[in-house]
Amino acid sequence: MDFLFNLLPHLVNGIALGLLFALIALGFMLIIGVMEVINLAHGSLFALGAYMALVIVTPEGGLDAPFLEPWFGIGIIPRYIAALVIAPVIVGVFGMGLELCLRRTYGKDPLYGLLLTFGAALVIEEGIRIIWGHGEYVLPVPKGIRGGFIFADLIWSYYRFFAAAFSIVMIGALWCFIEKTPYGAIIKAGAHDNEMVRALGINLPKLRLFVFAIGTALAAIAGIIMAPIWGIRPQVGVDAVVPAFVIIVLGGIGSFWGAVIAGLMVGMIVGLTAAYYSDWSLLSMYLLLLAVVTFRARGLMGKVSVLER
Amino acid sequence: MRHMIAITSNWFTPQMLVAFAIFGTLPLWLEGVGLYSYIGLEVLIWIIFALGFNLLLGYTGLPSFGHGAFLGIGGYAMGWFQINVAPNLWLGLLFAIAITALFGAAVALFISHRRGIYFALLTLAFGQVFFFVASKWTTLTGGEDGMLNIARLPADFGFVSFSLQHNYALYYFTFAVFVVTVLVLWRLVNSPFGKVIKAIKQNEMRVGFLGYNVYFFKWAVFTISCAVTGLAGGLFAMAQEGAYVQVMSLQWSGIIVLMTLIGGGFVSFWGALIGTVVYYLARDILGTFTETWLLWYGLMFMLVVMFKPEGIAGMWQDGVAYLNRRRGAGIPPVAVEPARE
Amino acid sequence: MKTGITRRKLIQGTALTAGAAAVFGPWKFNRVYAAATDKPILIGLTHDASGQFANSGQAEKRGTIMAIEEANAAGGVLGRKVEYIWADTETTPATGSRVAERFITRDNVAFMVGAIQSGTANAISQVCQKYGVVYFNTNSSSPTESAKNCHRVKFVWDGSGANFAKAAAAGAVDKFGKNWILLTNDYVWGHNTSKATAEILGKLGGTVMENILVPVGTRDYSSILLKLQQAKPDVVATAVGGDDYKALRQQVQDLKLDTKMAWLSNQLDWPDIYGAGSEAAFGVFGATWYHYLDLPGVADFVKRYQTRWPDTRIDVPGNVTYNGYVAMRELLRAVEDAGSTNNISVIKQLEGRVMKAADRMQHHDAVIDPNSHHVQQTIYLATRQDKPRDDTDYFKIVNVMAPETVRIASESECHLESYADTPTYEM
Repeated sequence: MDFLFNLLPHLVNGIALGLLFALIALGFMLIIGVMEVINLAHGSLFALGAYMALVIVTPEGGLDAPFLEPWFGIGIIPRYIAALVIAPVIVGVFGMGLELCLRRTYGKDPLYGLLLTFGAALVIEEGIRIIWGHGEYVLPVPKGIRGGFIFADLIWSYYRFFAAAFSIVMIGALWCFIEKTPYGAIIKAGAHDNEMVRALGINLPKLRLFVFAIGTALAAIAGIIMAPIWGIRPQVGVDAVVPAFVIIVLGGIGSFWGAVIAGLMVGMIVGLTAAYYSDWSLLSMYLLLLAVVTFRARGLMGKVSVLER
Repeated sequence: MRHMIAITSNWFTPQMLVAFAIFGTLPLWLEGVGLYSYIGLEVLIWIIFALGFNLLLGYTGLPSFGHGAFLGIGGYAMGWFQINVAPNLWLGLLFAIAITALFGAAVALFISHRRGIYFALLTLAFGQVFFFVASKWTTLTGGEDGMLNIARLPADFGFVSFSLQHNYALYYFTFAVFVVTVLVLWRLVNSPFGKVIKAIKQNEMRVGFLGYNVYFFKWAVFTISCAVTGLAGGLFAMAQEGAYVQVMSLQWSGIIVLMTLIGGGFVSFWGALIGTVVYYLARDILGTFTETWLLWYGLMFMLVVMFKPEGIAGMWQDGVAYLNRRRGAGIPPVAVEPARE
Repeated sequence: MKTGITRRKLIQGTALTAGAAAVFGPWKFNRVYAAATDKPILIGLTHDASGQFANSGQAEKRGTIMAIEEANAAGGVLGRKVEYIWADTETTPATGSRVAERFITRDNVAFMVGAIQSGTANAISQVCQKYGVVYFNTNSSSPTESAKNCHRVKFVWDGSGANFAKAAAAGAVDKFGKNWILLTNDYVWGHNTSKATAEILGKLGGTVMENILVPVGTRDYSSILLKLQQAKPDVVATAVGGDDYKALRQQVQDLKLDTKMAWLSNQLDWPDIYGAGSEAAFGVFGATWYHYLDLPGVADFVKRYQTRWPDTRIDVPGNVTYNGYVAMRELLRAVEDAGSTNNISVIKQLEGRVMKAADRMQHHDAVIDPNSHHVQQTIYLATRQDKPRDDTDYFKIVNVMAPETVRIASESECHLESYADTPTYEM
């Protein structure tokens, strides 16, 4: 009984992690739904989001000019909120740029699109290294959500609760957007049937740009929230793409709640592994990927995936 | 897929002889151009690696994003054999080839029925798993510090023995291996087996309908590719006098993809060689001017994929075709691509 | 178009190859160029600018460059100017090998200096031993550097993890207790250091309750801290370095666990801690030097550093810069004393060399052990400074250990190559 009790903080950590993974996966999925492209650069954009937030929140991120001092003087909460809004927008612009590059590969063998996004991932990561260096940065977060506390003789993290809550809000907002707004309907339609959408007079290239922007912005938001958990390093992107992919495969391409549930599952597995075999926690994601793709390529709730083409 | 590599029944081709001549005489002119012996050695070893890798990417159209892991395995196998079994060059290299091929065969069992993104991500995952295990298993591999004190064993033919200690001595040994590898791979890709894998690149389903066991062919080409990679890995361990884990990381696995594609692996046997040379030149020459050279290299890769996936070899072929067309004026161009390479 | 391979071409090809073989063998390694007295002495610096130890790499580079510039200002060495070339070894052994090969075979450096990560240092020292180039490993502290992985051309300048563990252990057992938990960074330095700590603890009658592995790159310590919180050891001895250590320390302090159990942090590298405020110095830890040591020469050195490097983020030099500085300075002095850059003569000058305390800005004389080539020096034990003089004053020195008290027996595992087996090298 004691053992289970000690598990509680890890379960909370796992849930928080899982919700964040789900957020990344949803962005990933939006793009696949409309694009048929696996965006291997998703992880690097995740990392870029964290770095952008760093730039906005602290002068250590690079904006060390004297005329910006008043900005860094105001309290951390407005800066943090500004980061949460501005950074995803910037990353969304990068995402749109990537979509423009990808246009040349449409209609050709999907291998090209794959290679292009792979190259983009390396380029973004290298660009990050050049601008910010190899070292690690710490994203300052408002005092209220930082650090841990001891309750009932267990260590809990304020931040994980915040991360979980924030993710729930974002996921909810995304769901509303997709289900309740006309734009969301168009996206769903586009995912379902490209041709028809075009026949209906909707501008497909613009739709794709838009979807890429949103998908990558979601990755950026996840990157900002994950920053205190995973640290801000250039290579952090790789570790973000893999759970996204695992979740998509597990949850099925078309399924929103499939992704969320699968996200929670993956998060729990990684979080619990971190509890007992902390060295294996990242590895567990890769092993999970291998297991899932080998045995269950269609996912829990999915239809035939466009990936199998 | 549009890009196909033509078939020939020649054992030797002009390109092959040029390559042999250039690399055979390398030690004579390398230092004259401001380079150093170790880099010549490293480039030749990576060319062998790239040739093996291109079997998968350029010929069969299978993107492997975890191939660096196999290079590492080959290195560790060579080192382990030397230290724990016998310090014999031939057996050590054979062991490296065998072990890496074994790992490759095992991985291929899992992934051979996949293609495209699934294939790629599975290779990435396996690569990462091997990387983690190698980093963790410090008693076997030495972890981040690597397996040290791997000796450059002498090439002992029984009646005469050459020391491979000096960089150029090992270079000539590697060159001999390179020649053999090129000949073997060249025959392989110009054989019926080669035809099937090229067909798989074009349209996997159709090949299946024609009655070929596509799974077997993909499995076989992956295993062969890993065997060649293991050979390169064993040589690399001797060159470095150590086997290190970083080459198994995603970054290095990615670089071999970039190298091979930029060189024109999709359309040419020699694309892999060209790509490797271009990478090292970029690194050592651009690298002296700017620390950001890898960024430019990556951007170049993206541009190549977007605008000229045939790579450098493809541009060369286009140039040759253009000249041929001008020379052979009046004869309408044939619909089938003329025999190249 | 059929290209045949004619027999003629084959014979020509073979002749060419045989000719080349004749030119290039037998291959020996004696690289001796006439020591021109106007040719500068070129030193190859291998300080990391990327990877886990980027900050420390740049810090030690500042130290080595200062020493070179001071030597040049005093007229050079043997009448020759000292120059340096530097390459980033990226905290990677393979890159270290490659850089070493390039510096030696292409740039013909006279000596090699630098390295923090022990894997990189090992790779570099292997290549250096092959050619006979004297190599100063300035900041690696894995105990194996001067034991299993020692070389005739290699000299190790930092205290090893085992030295620091020994320095701290006896006092810690007496003051805090016998039940320890070890936190080990999962790579060779971590393993070797924890192994040494466990051995020392065993000799003092203590027990290791658990050895928790911390993967390199860990940022989230909540599960580890939870384990510690539940196990309640007397002492937690950490062998965790670089960025990992920063994250650990931050989280321990957030949860106020630094007040609940005693923390022993092996060695703290100044670049890892500077800027985080003195709260960052928690527990008991070791260092080879500190900028507020009350010794002659220290204040002057700090001032020279600040004049030379006004723009760097780290305003005062720490142990990493110090190690780089004294190592380079001693190398140049040894060359001067040897009267030549011949590697064997320089090595003979270094083996058994005594460096006076006042000169080294430490409390005790230091000596280069002739059997392991490891510098035996003073080890300082410190805790957080509760009455800081200014905002750079993080440490309070609580103990000064003489080199003999922290000497490690396992360095007898070191088997240096013989002089005969070490190629002659002189640039």
